[in-house]
Amino acid sequence: MPSVQLFATCLGDLVVPEAVVDAARLLREAGFEVEFPRAQVCCGQPAFNAGHHAAARRVAGTFVRAFHRRSPLVCPSGSCATMVDRYLPDLVSADGYDIWELSAFLDHHDANLQPCNAGRQLAYHDSCHMLRELRIADAPRRLLKRSGAELVALPRPDLCCGFGGTFSVRQPELSVAMADDKLGGARAADALVTADPGCLMHLAGRVERTGGGMPVLHLATALARGIEP
Amino acid sequence: MKPFLAQPPSRFRTRAKAALANSQMQAATDAATFRLHQGRLDAWDALQDVEALRERAHAIRMETVDNLDAQVAQFAAAAEAAGANVHLAGTADDACTYVADVCRRRGAKLVAKAKSMLSEEIRLNDALAAIGVDAVETDLGEYVAQLAGEHPVHILAPALEKTAADIAELFARDGDPVEPELEALAGVARRRLRGVFENADVGITGANFAVAETGSICLVTNEGNAGLVTALPPVHIALVGMERLVPRLADLAVLLQLLARSATGQPLSSYTRLLTGPRREEESDGPEELHVVIVDNGRTNLGHGKYREMLACIRCGACLNVCPVYRKAGGGSYSPVYSGPMGAVLVPLLVGLDKAPSLPHASSLCGACTAACPVKIPLHELLLDLRRDLVGDGVASRKERIAFQLWSLAWSRPRLYRLSTTAARALQPLASLAGPGRRWAAGRRIPRLQKRYRDR
Repeated sequence: MPSVQLFATCLGDLVVPEAVVDAARLLREAGFEVEFPRAQVCCGQPAFNAGHHAAARRVAGTFVRAFHRRSPLVCPSGSCATMVDRYLPDLVSADGYDIWELSAFLDHHDANLQPCNAGRQLAYHDSCHMLRELRIADAPRRLLKRSGAELVALPRPDLCCGFGGTFSVRQPELSVAMADDKLGGARAADALVTADPGCLMHLAGRVERTGGGMPVLHLATALARGIEP
Repeated sequence: MKPFLAQPPSRFRTRAKAALANSQMQAATDAATFRLHQGRLDAWDALQDVEALRERAHAIRMETVDNLDAQVAQFAAAAEAAGANVHLAGTADDACTYVADVCRRRGAKLVAKAKSMLSEEIRLNDALAAIGVDAVETDLGEYVAQLAGEHPVHILAPALEKTAADIAELFARDGDPVEPELEALAGVARRRLRGVFENADVGITGANFAVAETGSICLVTNEGNAGLVTALPPVHIALVGMERLVPRLADLAVLLQLLARSATGQPLSSYTRLLTGPRREEESDGPEELHVVIVDNGRTNLGHGKYREMLACIRCGACLNVCPVYRKAGGGSYSPVYSGPMGAVLVPLLVGLDKAPSLPHASSLCGACTAACPVKIPLHELLLDLRRDLVGDGVASRKERIAFQLWSLAWSRPRLYRLSTTAARALQPLASLAGPGRRWAAGRRIPRLQKRYRDR
């Protein structure tokens, strides 16, 4: 059986571990053996995007020590996949990694999915790194449709949800206003689905604070279990 | 002296908060930026191969940026051969003094100005007012901003946040009441500005491009005002940012295809003028004197390394229109004159990072600006580089540097990561009391740290 290394990401490990469980399950159901390198911590992106390269390099060192190059890496975050693909090798002077964002990997391997979203209307939120750096827009939508969902188009799907790492706390008012626009656009859907734990934490946190009630789910969860938790 | 474009650290957030509370401004900014953004997308779609065109445009711009001194010298020689006076101004003061001297020598009282962001950058109107010269903006949006006593909030649409009612009110201050509808307002502005065109002693314009090969100035407008400003007054002064040169006349064929399409979605602006030298004997209009002032004002600071890409900017405004932060914060939150992503990159480079430290962080790094830039400036990557320099140059706060250092030490070993995140979980109820946690919690629930995936 071919194998993959699962990079949970720090937010995945700490904030949305259920989504990582779901990602691992989807990978196994797609016919892959899932290896979880236990020495992994974080790719260093939070510090890198804030300009703290020395700090980012120190943390990214854990990534280099944890992962090998004998099998592809899969990660349930477009943003962290971008960091590892685009910036981390230069930062730590390492060779590139064969890293895949989860939905791109599942779509590439024609993963078989349960029709767990039959009759559901779902909106998909493109995370910025995934959309513009990795250019992955179709794969997550195709997978959601394959799981039975009907997709509700968001107005201005290109607009950032306002998370932006440290932006979310340096400019909290703008960040929240951007989340409100994104959530307002998804009102017609049964749930809003995103493939990035950062966007998810931000958008779901906003929904909980305002009592909006709109479920915000990680793509892995939506695909593995549907939108009923 | 603190440079005009400098921005105190907390100003962006304070102004953005005010902008968010202003629903009229939010609606106006959203509507205008969306219309311009959609116009660009449609216009780009209609091109056969926009990517190839962008690549060519980038190459042309970088040819100038990489040979700035030689191109300036070539332009100056060609323009002088055509009869223009060329002045190289190192600073804003230098440029303003030169223009003021010309006005004084000509005994000028009234100046007609076509839109020039560079003139805003060097605060030319203030310098002219100080010597008793009345400089009147003739671009409609600039005219409105001038009447309101405000800086332009958008490099292309200076009064984008104003409604017809706002403009009617401004116009009524200097005359009879006006109906708050666009045609009536344009009619009033036309009548008032006609007198300015006819009576101006000096006309002042910027330059969209300046051609090194021929010494020509290229001006692009939709209102035709630059035509009158350069044809009627006896003196024309063109202010040219030193990076606005292009090597050859033929290069305009590439850049003009992209400029208006990226700015407003038009294939070309209504008027595209190419001016070479003052009026010749056989010509019936044009100025007796033409002065070209080539302005540095910090631009050579950008001449090395990756930041020089920013000098490729053609001031189309596409990055403003696509920016989710500009859309909410509005142009007034940024430093005066240059706003949005291009302003967030350019201003710190012109005035020094320590004088505009919040601007590199006035972005969620979503990358929409980079994707929209017709000359392929990697705007969001430049913002990332500026953030790195904020830390490297010691501008970032000590508190922030210590926080990231401690974090990186804690997360440099898996065992320490476990320890620190276990501790964080225990302390979580306190997270919203201070610092970043508090700012997060003001609008969002703090995420509950779960049993780690690795422990399941």
